[in-house]
Amino acid sequence: MYKNSTTKARSGPGSPWQKFLLTMKLICVLLMLTFLQVSASSYAQKITLKANKMPLLTFFLQVQKQTGYDFLYNTNDLEATLPVTLDVTAMPVREALELCFSGQPLDFDIDKTSILVKRKKLRARINGLVVDTTGIGLPGVSVSVKNNNAVGTSTDMNGRYVLEVEENAVLVFSMVGFITQELSVKNKTVLDVVMKVSTNNLEDIVVVGFGRQKRSDLVGSVVSITPKDLKVPSSNLTTALAGRVAGMIAYQRSGEPGQDNADFFIRGVTTFGYKVDPLILIDNVEVTKTDLARLQVDDIASFSIMKDATSTAIYGARGANGVILITTKEGTEGKAQLSFRIENSLSSPTRTVELADPITYMKLHNESMLTRNPLGGAFYTREKIDRTIEGDDPLNFPVTDWKKSLVKEYTMNQRANLSVSGGGKLARYFVSGAFSKDNGILNVDQRNNFNSNIDLKTYTLRSNVNMNLTNTTEFLVRLNGSFDDYSGPIDGGSKVYRDIMRTNPVLFAPSYEPGAHQSYIKHILFGNSGNGDYLNPYANLMMGYKDYSRSMMLAQIELRQKLSFITEGLTFRTMANTTRNSFFDVNRKYNPFFYEAMGVNLTTGQPNLVLLNETGGTEYLDYSEGQKTISSVFYMESALNYARVFGEKHSLSGLLVHILSQRLNANVGDLQQSLPYRNTGISGRLTYAYDNRYHAEFNFGYNGSERFAEEKRFGFFPSVGLAWSVSNEKFFAPLKPVVSNLRLRGTYGIVGNDAIGSAADRFFYLSNVNMSDASRGAGFGTERGYTRNGISIDRYSNPDITWETAAKKNLGLEIGLFDKVQIMADFFSEERKNILMTRSYISATMGLNAPVRANVGEATGQGIDASIDYSGNLGRGVWFQARGNFTYATSKVKVFEEPLYKEKYLSTIGYSLSQQWGYIADRLFVDDEEVLNSPKQNFGEYMGGDIKYRDVNNDGQITGLDRVPLGFPTNPEIVYGFGFSAGKGNFDISAFLQGLSRESFWIDAAATSPFGSYRYSGETANKIVQTQLLKAYADNHWSEENRNLYALWPRLSSTRVENNEVRSTYFMQNGAFLRLKQVEFGYSLSKNLNKRLHTNKVRIYFNATNLFTWSSFKLWDVEMAGNGLDYPIQRVFNLGLQASF
Amino acid sequence: MKRIIIFCTILVMVSSVSCKKYLDIVPDNVATLENAFAMRNTAEQFLFTCYSYMPLHGNDERNPALAAGDEFWRPLPAPTDPQEIAKGNQRIVDPYMNFWEGLNGGTRLFGGIRDCNIFLENIGVVPDMEQAEKDVWIAEIKALKAYYHFYLFRLYGPVPLIRQNLPISAGVEEVQIKRSPSDECINYIVELLDEAAPDLPPRIINEVAELGRFTRSIALALKAEVLMTAASPLFNGNVDYTGIVNKDGEALFNTTYDKLKWNRAADALKMAIDFCEAAGYKLYEYKNQYPQYAISPVTIIQMSIRNSVCEPWNSEVIWGDINSRADAIQNRAAPRGLDPASVGVGGLNGNIAIPLKIVEMFYSNNGVPVDEDKNWDYANRFRVKTGDTEHKYVIREGYQTAELNFKREQRFYADLGFDGGIWYGQGKFDDKGTDLLFVSSKKGNPASEIVPNYYSASGYWPKKLFHFQNIVTGSLVKRPYPWPVIKLSNLYLFYAEALNEIGGPQPEVFSYVDLIRKRAGLLPVKEAWTTYSRNPNKFNTQEGLREIIHRERLIEFAMEGQRFWDLRRWKQATTEMNKSITGWDINKSTASLYYRETFIYNQKFSARDYLWPINENELLKNGNLIQNPGW
Repeated sequence: MYKNSTTKARSGPGSPWQKFLLTMKLICVLLMLTFLQVSASSYAQKITLKANKMPLLTFFLQVQKQTGYDFLYNTNDLEATLPVTLDVTAMPVREALELCFSGQPLDFDIDKTSILVKRKKLRARINGLVVDTTGIGLPGVSVSVKNNNAVGTSTDMNGRYVLEVEENAVLVFSMVGFITQELSVKNKTVLDVVMKVSTNNLEDIVVVGFGRQKRSDLVGSVVSITPKDLKVPSSNLTTALAGRVAGMIAYQRSGEPGQDNADFFIRGVTTFGYKVDPLILIDNVEVTKTDLARLQVDDIASFSIMKDATSTAIYGARGANGVILITTKEGTEGKAQLSFRIENSLSSPTRTVELADPITYMKLHNESMLTRNPLGGAFYTREKIDRTIEGDDPLNFPVTDWKKSLVKEYTMNQRANLSVSGGGKLARYFVSGAFSKDNGILNVDQRNNFNSNIDLKTYTLRSNVNMNLTNTTEFLVRLNGSFDDYSGPIDGGSKVYRDIMRTNPVLFAPSYEPGAHQSYIKHILFGNSGNGDYLNPYANLMMGYKDYSRSMMLAQIELRQKLSFITEGLTFRTMANTTRNSFFDVNRKYNPFFYEAMGVNLTTGQPNLVLLNETGGTEYLDYSEGQKTISSVFYMESALNYARVFGEKHSLSGLLVHILSQRLNANVGDLQQSLPYRNTGISGRLTYAYDNRYHAEFNFGYNGSERFAEEKRFGFFPSVGLAWSVSNEKFFAPLKPVVSNLRLRGTYGIVGNDAIGSAADRFFYLSNVNMSDASRGAGFGTERGYTRNGISIDRYSNPDITWETAAKKNLGLEIGLFDKVQIMADFFSEERKNILMTRSYISATMGLNAPVRANVGEATGQGIDASIDYSGNLGRGVWFQARGNFTYATSKVKVFEEPLYKEKYLSTIGYSLSQQWGYIADRLFVDDEEVLNSPKQNFGEYMGGDIKYRDVNNDGQITGLDRVPLGFPTNPEIVYGFGFSAGKGNFDISAFLQGLSRESFWIDAAATSPFGSYRYSGETANKIVQTQLLKAYADNHWSEENRNLYALWPRLSSTRVENNEVRSTYFMQNGAFLRLKQVEFGYSLSKNLNKRLHTNKVRIYFNATNLFTWSSFKLWDVEMAGNGLDYPIQRVFNLGLQASF
Repeated sequence: MKRIIIFCTILVMVSSVSCKKYLDIVPDNVATLENAFAMRNTAEQFLFTCYSYMPLHGNDERNPALAAGDEFWRPLPAPTDPQEIAKGNQRIVDPYMNFWEGLNGGTRLFGGIRDCNIFLENIGVVPDMEQAEKDVWIAEIKALKAYYHFYLFRLYGPVPLIRQNLPISAGVEEVQIKRSPSDECINYIVELLDEAAPDLPPRIINEVAELGRFTRSIALALKAEVLMTAASPLFNGNVDYTGIVNKDGEALFNTTYDKLKWNRAADALKMAIDFCEAAGYKLYEYKNQYPQYAISPVTIIQMSIRNSVCEPWNSEVIWGDINSRADAIQNRAAPRGLDPASVGVGGLNGNIAIPLKIVEMFYSNNGVPVDEDKNWDYANRFRVKTGDTEHKYVIREGYQTAELNFKREQRFYADLGFDGGIWYGQGKFDDKGTDLLFVSSKKGNPASEIVPNYYSASGYWPKKLFHFQNIVTGSLVKRPYPWPVIKLSNLYLFYAEALNEIGGPQPEVFSYVDLIRKRAGLLPVKEAWTTYSRNPNKFNTQEGLREIIHRERLIEFAMEGQRFWDLRRWKQATTEMNKSITGWDINKSTASLYYRETFIYNQKFSARDYLWPINENELLKNGNLIQNPGW
């Protein structure tokens, strides 16, 4: 299939590509001809000679005699020469010499009247196979010639390479994660290499901002991850990040397909602005978290995370929160290589929230009413409870397990990807496509002819083509598209889970079957009660579906030009990119008809199903428009790069880059937001290394952002760094066998952030006036016929607002032991200044419509990130690798404008940015007597059995002034992960554990308050909701019979009790956990089998994620923290096949 | 090397020049506040903006005077903000109905005052306007500014006076403003109204486009109400507030009683009444709108009462709030199943309940309190009685209801819907017809609790607030009406009250009270008390007459959002609002069980509740602000 199409492309007449090549060839030929003309005209001397096995030296003398040319040669060079046999008459000197030199190991050059004879530089075609220690071909290994940047390639999908080099060249094989090897070609034509996994990483080439550096030259704090470590059975790459990288805090709060992006921060959060997540760059282009989520691991060539100032300062404006830099694979020379992977996985929730059974629900609902108001009635009659227990009339005494009716036990997902790579001298290509299908876990009603379950299909396509326009010019075209097609419930999957939590289990059934006398009814008879205005989540799920479509298209061209004609080591590259994002959704639904079962119809004897909303329902689908988001991004960078080694010991490099970016969003709804977002600036880097021992680096970014007043627009962000490779010192030599590597690094620098305030809030130096604000309008006249919209100020101008800056310090230590263990530890601290915040002293009497803000906030962050790696052979062919990493990142508010509190504990200064304040809950009140004799609590009505708070400031009442810092921050301060992989022969196994700690979260008392009505923010109050009863609450709550003062839930109430809902220690939970994140078994086919199958590599694997979790919290998956009532995190079992040809 | 340097220099120069321009993306004509006063059209928008901060008088979930008092009771799973206050749950942490900051149902009045000041500062520059029109607008804004201050004053007592706006860049010291003493507040409010009144039109001429905007009538009436508030016991010599001082020792309350404050109020009232009457305002009287039916005088009286509220722009309404019309409140005012054929009528929620104590407050048909009436069997008021012919216009004949509902004044029947009570209107306009609507709310009947939350907890509904032409058959179709904020009748009773405070019983006092009684079909005070009351000389003393005037006010303006302010003003809330909320035993289906007084809620009102708390956060921000007493 593939071959056919390429042959076609090659022979296809008149294709633009063909024309281009032809033109190029023609130009080359014409140029050559011109040069030949010139050279021919300058040699007129001719010789006539007859020689039979004449020694070369004699031949030289003959020629010298006839023509007067002088021969210059090194006698040693003539030793291995062949005698000359020749018979020529009046032949030009050059032609004669060429005849004579053919087959000789020598070459000549004619310079005026001298003939320079020198040893011939032999060019040899060399090829080989690069494999890893398991014998499997390694694709993408960079093969280059030492001291010659002009020649190089990388291995194909099977690990093969072909390269034409000089005979005595030294080849350098390098790949991230493997030990770089240098091998001399000598006279070989085949050079096979076994790459060893690197533990000391020192020879790694690390992708850094706008360039690459050897790890041993690195001064900044940069981590690179082997892409295969990110391979998880999910179509969301972000879920793989937690615990994989030292320095990254990551966690996942939801498991809903399409909404399951993990949250991740580099070295924690140290700003109170809206932009807290790192800059994500794929092939140098800024992308969103979702774009990262959709990235195929198999397409990744390198994945680097830059953490400190030196590595991020070059991004100036954008680097304050760290940078994730990903490059995608490029094509390698050779015939087309095909590789594919297919996976099928089964996913089910790790843990679901357990609810009380319906009978308990009714009993406790009655208790909830009577316990608060003994005079008020009970909600359920004795009869209702008894008949429900009997279960003989499920129609009139329904029991509904809403979860069962809405949610399946498990679901199956499929993923596949395919890539093709190859190319020739002129062009190389890497093309990949991927498809994944994620199904939700929701039920579908067969009576509908549409699918209301979540069905998320994502497609990605990537095409990277490199063209060598000339010897020194390379031209790249990258096209990348990622597309989501979603069909699913109108309100999304989390809403289904939230609704299950908010529906009475004994009021009505999800739907009814029409009786015989109602057989004419075409629609589904959804259950309801009262006016038909109860929430029926089944109806909500089945009444329609949403389609959404998201696409991201990226087109990029890049030109790389070597400028060695100006000076050795200088290169120039320029890249332009445009990205288009679009999203739209469409909802189609009917309005459900609601029925209530009311006894038996006396005339028909059939169950009496009464229609509750005659005019409300529809039998036909209706349509409603959803949101449409469109954006266009343009990005351009031009860089001048210089790298050279002087006198073997001094290596110098420099970089100057100019960037330009623009983003334009559609449908933003206000003029100021409709204006393009722009950044521009110049960045630079200067590095110097002496003798691989001392390294120094200076970086700067000079960046402008359109958001600030003209004088404040540009910010200068410099950074410096020094590193010392102690182990390369002479005095260290005796220790080297034990401590194979010892390196110290230190950096300091300033990075900026212009994404302050909120995304919508842009030109701080301008006021934002809404000249037609309907919410501030008024109307007058007999019938209010004369109305005018009002004018309101959304922002007051402040021309002083400018960049937020982060001064970052980093001290790094690298230790290698026995060449097997590698330890890296970085100690970092950060000082954020100029954080935009609201002035706290502006009280309501000022009457302002919008907050007044200034760059006054300051915060600091510090911590450690460390990793340890081990790699080795355990003997008997068993290889073993283990790695672990640990991140501890804390933050502290340093300057925060706040009132002068008399109560010092109210001050946020000195606490983490995500520290929460709340009340100390002592216990529950014993009885009403105690309530009367305790300090008054100011949060609405309460009585015995409700939460009793501590009057911290002893002023006789519980108010906001009694709030103290509670527990740990809500962002975990420690994230860690560790795992191993091992293998023998064709089998491999790996396991990875991940955990986090120093995190607190709160059970949402409002959302779990049984029998109460809870609405999430932004929800319209069009349906009556009634919160379910958690089994844990049913089993353990305060009641008049059992006055457990420390019960899990306070006194029941049929309505929400605000007193119990304020943030307090009562519902505080420890978020720490450790989980077995991933286990994988793999089997690769043996070489023989591969040969027979004509494959290069086939690997079958089975893996599972989120198998076990160790945590003290049992109500739901602890990683979801406070979002436990949403779509749960999934446990996935996955079977996959990877093959390449 | 040279070439590189040149190359780099060019690169840097080119890019830094283009950078500056590249980032200059904001067009020159982005809207600023100056645009608001660049022409009349936008200045008018700003005028309307200033009006938009008006408290929502006609919304019982936003007007504390409606649901935060003791007249309305609603069964709700989650109480509304004003109801939390009614239940005694007001607090200093995130207070309910926070008009100070504009949170939890309160309007951001200080924001309104700021915008008023911005308007006053800038209106001068509008080029395309006549000075005369500017003067009218300025006067309107001053009146608004006065009203916003007054609204805050009534809720919080002494407030900081925002005579001028502080600049945005004001420093910490500058923004720490303090509360002004109560007399200063009143004087400033009156001063603003005095400045405003002369430039305002007596009443709106261009009614189709301008009704609802400030007039001189409103300004004068408002001034009178402000001065009545200032003269009343809560603010006039209230010794409870002795020692309430600012941080600098300045006393916030004048604790010496000053009788002259009543004179000042009376003068303002006299002036307002004379002016309004001259401008054409008069007590509203219903003219039969359906001449095909000859309706009885009783119904006419009832309709005069009902329509003095519900009829848009009727002759009695001096200030109608057109921006907060009685809309959703009407959904709650009439019972579900009022038309038994449409039990399921959407929108009719009928869940405002009137407590029995309010029901009992209405006079007997003799115009005196039921517990004072010699001919009225107060002790047996809860006995079941069957509707008779004598009451056929007000109680369904043959229907079993309570004695309490018999022999009452017409305002009782006009204001309240109750089990067995005839509900005139809603498509049935012949009061002699047999198909007149009536309420049936015993358990199982259309108006009882069929749907959770949609029922009256006491068995009484505020019929007065429900426009008689609304349609309740099939689906609810409403006629929203501008909420009557100030009525002429209000000024009459104010005036009587003030005169009585100045000089005790005197003919002018009686004449104004009797005007109101006459419209309600009642005998004059003297005659009624002399003939029917067990306390026939009550009106002869200042105290007795005060009680009569107070009660007349409470009855006349029941459910109109006056009782809340009056009880505070008179310092009677501690008595009245500590009484239990009670109603009938609504979950019973037989009359004998239904007509038992049932406890609903125990309201609590302590001395501190007269003035609401300021959010403690505000006190943290502004060190010069002091909290109200008791909080």
